[in-house]
Amino acid sequence: MDPKLTEVSQYFERFKAACVREDIDTSANLLSQLKVLLTSFRSLPPLFEVTPNAVQELTIARDIYEHAVLLSVKMGDQDAFERDFFQLKPYYTDARKRLPRSPQEHMILGLNLLRLLVQNRIAEFHTELELLPAESLEDPCIKHAVELEQSFMEGAYNRVLTAKQTVPNQSYDYFMDLLAKTVRDEIAGCSEKAYDFLSINDARQMLLFSSDNELLKYINEEHPEWEIKDGSVIFQKAKETAPCKEIPSLQLINQTLSYARELERIV
Amino acid sequence: MKETPDPASAPSNSATSAAPDLKEIASLIETGAYAREVRRIARAIRLTMALRRKLKTSVVSAFLNFALTPGSEAHSRLSSYLPKEDDHEMEVDTATSVVQAPVKHSLPELEIFSYLLVLIFLIDQKRYSEAKACSSASIARLKNINRRTVDVLASRLYFYYSLSYEHTGDLAEIRGNLLALHQIATLRHDELGQETLLNLLLRNYLHYNLYDQAEKLRSKAPRFEAHSNQQFCRYLFYLGKIRTIQLEYTDAKESLLQAARKAPIAALCFRIQCTKWAVIVRLLLGEIPERTVFMQKGMETALRPYFELTNAVRIGDLELFKSVAEKFSETFSLDRTQNLIVRLRHNVIRTGLRNISISYSRISLTDVAKKLRLDSPNPVADAESIVSKAIRDGAIDATIDHAKGWMVSKETGDIYSTNEPQMAFNSRIAFCLNMHNEAVRALRFPPNSHKEKEIAEKRRERQQQEQELAKHIAEEDDDEF
Repeated sequence: MDPKLTEVSQYFERFKAACVREDIDTSANLLSQLKVLLTSFRSLPPLFEVTPNAVQELTIARDIYEHAVLLSVKMGDQDAFERDFFQLKPYYTDARKRLPRSPQEHMILGLNLLRLLVQNRIAEFHTELELLPAESLEDPCIKHAVELEQSFMEGAYNRVLTAKQTVPNQSYDYFMDLLAKTVRDEIAGCSEKAYDFLSINDARQMLLFSSDNELLKYINEEHPEWEIKDGSVIFQKAKETAPCKEIPSLQLINQTLSYARELERIV
Repeated sequence: MKETPDPASAPSNSATSAAPDLKEIASLIETGAYAREVRRIARAIRLTMALRRKLKTSVVSAFLNFALTPGSEAHSRLSSYLPKEDDHEMEVDTATSVVQAPVKHSLPELEIFSYLLVLIFLIDQKRYSEAKACSSASIARLKNINRRTVDVLASRLYFYYSLSYEHTGDLAEIRGNLLALHQIATLRHDELGQETLLNLLLRNYLHYNLYDQAEKLRSKAPRFEAHSNQQFCRYLFYLGKIRTIQLEYTDAKESLLQAARKAPIAALCFRIQCTKWAVIVRLLLGEIPERTVFMQKGMETALRPYFELTNAVRIGDLELFKSVAEKFSETFSLDRTQNLIVRLRHNVIRTGLRNISISYSRISLTDVAKKLRLDSPNPVADAESIVSKAIRDGAIDATIDHAKGWMVSKETGDIYSTNEPQMAFNSRIAFCLNMHNEAVRALRFPPNSHKEKEIAEKRRERQQQEQELAKHIAEEDDDEF
């Protein structure tokens, strides 16, 4: 076999072992070495040359990047995730005809969708979704992300939180925790507008805190305008003073001026 | 350089009337090329399109013999695409070509026009692989010609090039070529070509659902006033599609409705597509399209699934929505609107909620959950969070009483005492004024008209007219008093 290929495979084995051991530093080092070694292969994107070992090289490169993506999830580094995922994507799309399907493909695609959801990049979420063929939508990992997005849009936040239990893969946990935080902020925002007041117990339950102290700390930090009076949280509704009938004069002036200008132009 | 072929000596050996028409078109192209008037060539193309149905192999080969020097490279290549059906026709052709003056300089315009004619003929006959080969040859030939008068013909060629590849399912192959052609067109300031190629590229990307790349191209490509109404309509349609997927529904609605309005009446399928997407975008925005939209002439059967979908959304019934979506799922996946329909679920719930909030002044959350028919394990908690989100988004005006578990709607005030009518009027006025400005800008005057010297007679006439007009206006003013 090609000596370069053997070298890469050996490094790859050590890399995989380090990942399993949860040894983040060694894994990161080995990963950078592997990436440098991969640049010597000419059959990889963007060149896509046809060399005799092309299929093996492509497969190894793809596996390396998949592990890199999972490693970045463990490290909690979202930028690294994005970089590695973008490098991985051509293997799924353009090289689809040359390689057999990877078993982890759907899992990683689902992970990416979840990441976009957590970062609130909904437009990109949908664009990515369009690229998937109809059969992929049946896959549990991807279905999970799609249903999560729907619940998020509809506002059924409790469903989002229960979905945490039904996670298809352990690496999803990191993003689900981030999502829980976002959801909590959303619930707080909605409750503010929807309720006049809530008892402390109810507020604690809705915002998923385990004790009253945590709730009070959260309110102090994030929402100082809420008042806490005899065992209930009162949301700031005092802003509803009599709306003084202001005439938006600047806007009216602008509009009337534009009418006059356009009418003058008519010959 | 000029050697006009003698039209009188070229007999029309085909019985159809297409052959002399083609010769007229050829002469039109020649005069246009020599006078450098692009509009004549555009007219020639329009006449050709009208002749499409009458094209037959004999007609096309006769034209080729007429327009191109037989034995030249272009002629042999193009003739090879035509099937050699009737031998005796070919004999007559060779006879005529001998009769004609053999020295004939082929104009590049005529050559490209012949390519175009053969290509149209092949595509109409559904011989797509041959059309592919022919169009690739023509594109290669086009790269060497750099004349403004060829631009109009060239943009048509690009279109059929892309069409032939699309029918054979190989669109991805030509993406690189199209990008290179777009670059060349930009360098040569060929605006019509740029427009056409940009649309073809967008179509290419959207065919494979690569919305991201399409948007990147569209945002970076140079923009200018549209030269061709059809290309502008296509551009608006693709733009609307991209914006819909990116969740920018207001922009999308504008583009799609404009595309549907500007499209020529004959383009029925295009308008149907625009209307379908426009309906979905309006549903996603929360407004219900009127029934007349679905009852437009010729569109009723095609829009039927969308009509039932609108009904389901209007009533706010989740079960009905699910059943309609399943019933027409093949239509939706053919139109590639499947993912958008999934997004509509949220709108159905919202509309249902709005109906409930308007009808009840106070309703318990369990009843809300029952009416919305949310199929989930914990409907009351779901309903509560959905209602609170709807309140936060401003869709309904209400408050929730958590302890007692019900939703209390607020009174809606009098709309006329707010600024709402003013806003509505303003948008309508702005639209009318905009339309007026665009119409004025679209006026076209024949070129060189300002260069004509006014002859003394004409000047006297004009002055007389102006005097009469002034008197007339003065009289009118007097009348008012």
